[in-house]
Amino acid sequence: MRARLLRASLLAAGLCALPVAQADERAFVTNQSAQTVSVVALPQMKVLATLAVPGKPAGVAAAPDGRRVYVSSPEGAFVTVLATDPPAVLRRIALEGGPLGIAVHPSGKPLYVADWYAGRIFVVDPDTGARIAELKTGASPSGLALSPDGSLLASADRDSGQVSLFATADNSLVATVPTGARPFGIGFTPDGAHVLSTDVGADAVTVIDVARRVRRATIAVGERPYAVAFAGGRAFVTNQYAGTVSVIDLATWERIADVPTGEYPEGVAASDDGASVYVANWFDNSLVRIDAATLQVVGEARTGDGPRAFGQFIARVPAP
Amino acid sequence: MRLTRRDVLVVALSAVFAGSAWAHGPSRQKVELTVDIAAPADKVWARVANFHDMSWHPAVARTEGQGGNEVGANRVLTLKGEGDPKIAEQLTRYNAEGKTYSYKITEVDVKVLPVTNYTAHLTVTADGEGKSKVQWRGAFYRGFPNNDPPPELNDQAAIDAVTGVYKGGLDALKAEMEK
Repeated sequence: MRARLLRASLLAAGLCALPVAQADERAFVTNQSAQTVSVVALPQMKVLATLAVPGKPAGVAAAPDGRRVYVSSPEGAFVTVLATDPPAVLRRIALEGGPLGIAVHPSGKPLYVADWYAGRIFVVDPDTGARIAELKTGASPSGLALSPDGSLLASADRDSGQVSLFATADNSLVATVPTGARPFGIGFTPDGAHVLSTDVGADAVTVIDVARRVRRATIAVGERPYAVAFAGGRAFVTNQYAGTVSVIDLATWERIADVPTGEYPEGVAASDDGASVYVANWFDNSLVRIDAATLQVVGEARTGDGPRAFGQFIARVPAP
Repeated sequence: MRLTRRDVLVVALSAVFAGSAWAHGPSRQKVELTVDIAAPADKVWARVANFHDMSWHPAVARTEGQGGNEVGANRVLTLKGEGDPKIAEQLTRYNAEGKTYSYKITEVDVKVLPVTNYTAHLTVTADGEGKSKVQWRGAFYRGFPNNDPPPELNDQAAIDAVTGVYKGGLDALKAEMEK
């Protein structure tokens, strides 16, 4: 965002001879069955590369600087570090258990990785691979998300029916808030005021008031919600069994539309400008682009087999 | 299909995980099989369209249930085999015009079918004059919800079992329709 503003002001000042391209966004889609990552140029939907990543990769987190992407492999018990430009596999960070949910701090480090089996989150230095700390969660921690200011980490503890909130400054647990059954995906609203969990077992989204640490609302969505992303004042929730994305107005907490996307929509992420929302369809082996204004599917790319893309899978690659 | 097999380990594990139908491994699997049938789509659909009649599948001894072909209808399949193994299923989508329905398994012992969180679609499409295609596709997790599954409950066992169910059913349907 800041880079674009800078470019805009340079343009306005006549200091840039040519229009500068928008942030070069790329999707890094984890193909769990194929054990690859599809790298897709956005919004063109052109597949640039397919990287081999073993261990049934599922979770993904793009670094804020757009240069690195971290991929979790629950069956390999490791995280793979990818370069975004040119796309390449750099190295592996060995962990334990079933690393699935993954998120990176807005400052670029540390990296947080949830262990689906053991009720813990690994706090990892992504540069050295060193484990800094281990946070105790409820059962089957799934989605992880950082508040926009980086002060809080939220964990969807699926089999405990709760969200755990940690202070990142000292890795302390500050609250657990009950959700509907089986919260899996999670995200902070862009203003940081709320956390939304997608409750797979309740076919609903729980809205948590971050300041008060309480449940504020429950919103019915489609069957088996998986993950959530935000664009243009709305939340976009993938519904695995329904084959749709439920769109929620963040001002009114009303569900305003259900957009058919494909079979088993799972990972969802928004472009930086909020114009597009991208969804991985696990059964169809596709990544689709939804126009966030018209709520129509306007583009598609083929992925490898079994795309999950669980996490913030869009990297904003800086201009070379 | 594992209808008669009795494995002490599997039985013990299924007891441990009974009641934890939500637990699953980290990697969902898919199986998709299609058969070409030299019979019109209307005729083939008529044979499979009743959610409460799975008699076209040779492994199914009887089908019992309620709710007709309405979404939410439940059926229990009793399979041929020692001990009358059962699979409970629910209709999740039904489109007669599109000749397709979707369902999920609501209850099954992993020693009957080594899967959890199973959903599937059955679709008949016309394929030229007097010919059709039937596609059966399913999504599911293996029977064992943690890492390091025993061979009886691993991903391959789940894929093999579901593939066996689909192949057995589609082959029999083709044979019956082309008779």
